[in-house]
Amino acid sequence: MKQILMQDTSGTLKKELRDLYVSFNSHLRDNGLADKAQVVLVSDIGVHNKGMVVKVLPEGFIYINVQSTHIADIVAKTVVNGAKVDALAYERPNKQMRIVLRHCGILDPESIEDYIAHDGYQGLANALAMGPEKVIEEMKKSGLRGRGGAGFPTWLKWNLTRAVKGEAKYIICNGDEGDPGAYMDRSVLEGDPHAVIEGMVIGGFAVGARNGIFYIRAEYPLAVARIQKAIDVCYAKGLLGKDIFGSGFDFDVEIRLGAGAFVCGEETALIASVEGLRGYPRPRPPFPSVKGLWDKPTVINNVETLANVSYILFKGGEAFGKIGIEGSTGTKVFALTGKVKNSGLVEVPMGTTLREIVFDIGGGVFENRAIKAIQTGGPSGGMIPQEFFDTPVGYESLQKLGSIMGSGGMIVMDENDCMVDISKFYLGFCVDESCGKCAPCRIGGVQMLEILKKITQGKGELDDLEKLSEIAEAMQRASLCGLGQTAANPVLSTMKYFGMEYEKHVINKKCPAGKCASLVQYSINKERCTGCGLCARNCPVNAISGDRQTKYTIDMAKCIGCGNCYEVCKFGAVLRQ
Amino acid sequence: MAMTRDDLNKLKAETQAKEPKNWIRVGYSTCGVAAGAKEVFDVLTEEAKARNMDLLVKKCGCVGLCSAEPLVEVNIEGAPRVFYGKVNKEVAHRIMDEHVCQKKLVENHIYEI
Ligand SMILES: Cc1cc2nc3c(=O)[nH]c(=O)nc-3n(C[C@H](O)[C@H](O)[C@H](O)COP(=O)(O)O)c2cc1C
Repeated sequence: MKQILMQDTSGTLKKELRDLYVSFNSHLRDNGLADKAQVVLVSDIGVHNKGMVVKVLPEGFIYINVQSTHIADIVAKTVVNGAKVDALAYERPNKQMRIVLRHCGILDPESIEDYIAHDGYQGLANALAMGPEKVIEEMKKSGLRGRGGAGFPTWLKWNLTRAVKGEAKYIICNGDEGDPGAYMDRSVLEGDPHAVIEGMVIGGFAVGARNGIFYIRAEYPLAVARIQKAIDVCYAKGLLGKDIFGSGFDFDVEIRLGAGAFVCGEETALIASVEGLRGYPRPRPPFPSVKGLWDKPTVINNVETLANVSYILFKGGEAFGKIGIEGSTGTKVFALTGKVKNSGLVEVPMGTTLREIVFDIGGGVFENRAIKAIQTGGPSGGMIPQEFFDTPVGYESLQKLGSIMGSGGMIVMDENDCMVDISKFYLGFCVDESCGKCAPCRIGGVQMLEILKKITQGKGELDDLEKLSEIAEAMQRASLCGLGQTAANPVLSTMKYFGMEYEKHVINKKCPAGKCASLVQYSINKERCTGCGLCARNCPVNAISGDRQTKYTIDMAKCIGCGNCYEVCKFGAVLRQ
Repeated sequence: MAMTRDDLNKLKAETQAKEPKNWIRVGYSTCGVAAGAKEVFDVLTEEAKARNMDLLVKKCGCVGLCSAEPLVEVNIEGAPRVFYGKVNKEVAHRIMDEHVCQKKLVENHIYEI
């Protein structure tokens, strides 16, 4: 039995596709092959904008731009003989590569046996056999850099803590994940908890720590439950506790819950929070690697970093170092969201371009609208415009563009997104989350936000733009922690790449994307209006009135500029200016 | 009672040897659960039990295509291994009837990951 898959991404079975479907079936029937192959409509073959797409199983041949004239050929060659129709064949490039997500969706996260059957705890066994120096050597060869934001080389961080003399040391897994739109770490904790625990034990062994702490936000109850279950079973099996693998190395792990403050993801604030204090950051140095939790040397690593560690110690640092690009090795998981067709988690080798991620993997923009920018790095990151979409993803390359890799949020913006409005959103997030300890962040953030509000309300003045840059610089230089130092990045990067949009708001009092309610005016074109009244029914403030004869009009005194009428009108009769 | 490396390798080999031929994986992370994975998982396990089938239905993490959750991956001898997305109770029943029992793919829900 063969399967002929036909892609119907819209799920609406347009006429052309329906005809092809019917023709395929009748051709099979007419040739007595009806029980040899099943024609199946499927939601997605992963090939977009290439006409009608057909895939034949079990061979896995993909055919593009298929027409009904090709049916006989496909049936005769592939269905009957298992041969490829070369003229139609297409190789789907596989741009993803799974290291961090290697087990996610494959094994049962609550079964340690399943993890062990998939090479689990082999990396730890290797590490304990080779000794701490060699482990750090492997990590150096791998070139792994921290996935939590700053991109500090993991081996170097470990080496700093290892070098400090003293008995008590700690390793903390940072599972706070506070960036809006980011959920890579949650997925790894939930989908492969043992991989993170294994990475932590390896790290603890390398630096000489006896205790590990998972700091996970309380909003992640499933992640917490799965990690706890994994810890418990590790103790039961002797993979945690005393004398692990008979090496004489003892290691204990516990969980601490975060209460969902963004600043608690910052390492010094996180430490304060674990100590039971208010989550305030403190100046560095001393760095936590030297003086951290309970004033003891402490390594803090991100979830994704640790999930890489268990892989590296199993496969070897050299092999890992060959993946990716110079300076940025391995893969990166991104949470691809916003106006993209297939939102979700993607994992790609470093060096993959933004365009490949959004178009080849993400399937492009929703409703085929024009893409405007890609946001990376969350509230500490920036907006990257079209002309740089062919940039290979890496720590330095994104920084050069005024953004950062960050922890892996990637939000796609289309022509309906207003860049001033978006930077107002991100800045507003940082203002809400600012702990208030240092003045540049506490006061600077609020002042910048006030200016942005003014601009989006059409009250902006020309020197506001200069003021924004000035305050931003002060915040960057003088804030105590990364939150304040980077809070202005979304504003600065949009001012740099979309300066025109700011000017339109300030000078022309217009919002080109039609997002800022005070700057847009809606009206109804009587010629086009059919009098259906849909707009009036969707108006939340009853500002639209009329009937079939007189058509509809908007009462500007009542209109709040929400744009509902514009969205719902099927005849393009509502105009936006 | 600490585990030795030999114990680890033994457990690995034993578990691999027990790997069932027929299995269904249900995406059961926050994204899947929020989209209704529990209901789907329950239907699949109940049906597998009711029909007394040699079939393992297990909960897994998220493969990444969160927009198509609940996602179910089906591997049954005699039919190709595929992912079904946007599965609900009704589709879960169809997967059991059509894919698992008749070895025919269920229409309109297959996603390539
Ligand atoms: C405001 C702020 C929030 C942060 N939030 C997180 C977070 O949620 N998760 C994380 O791993 N790192 C976060 N970091 C970075 C951490 O301070 C730290 O660099 C990281 O956990 C180190 O791990 P890595 O070397 O494995 O990347 C944040 C930093 C700042 C300034």
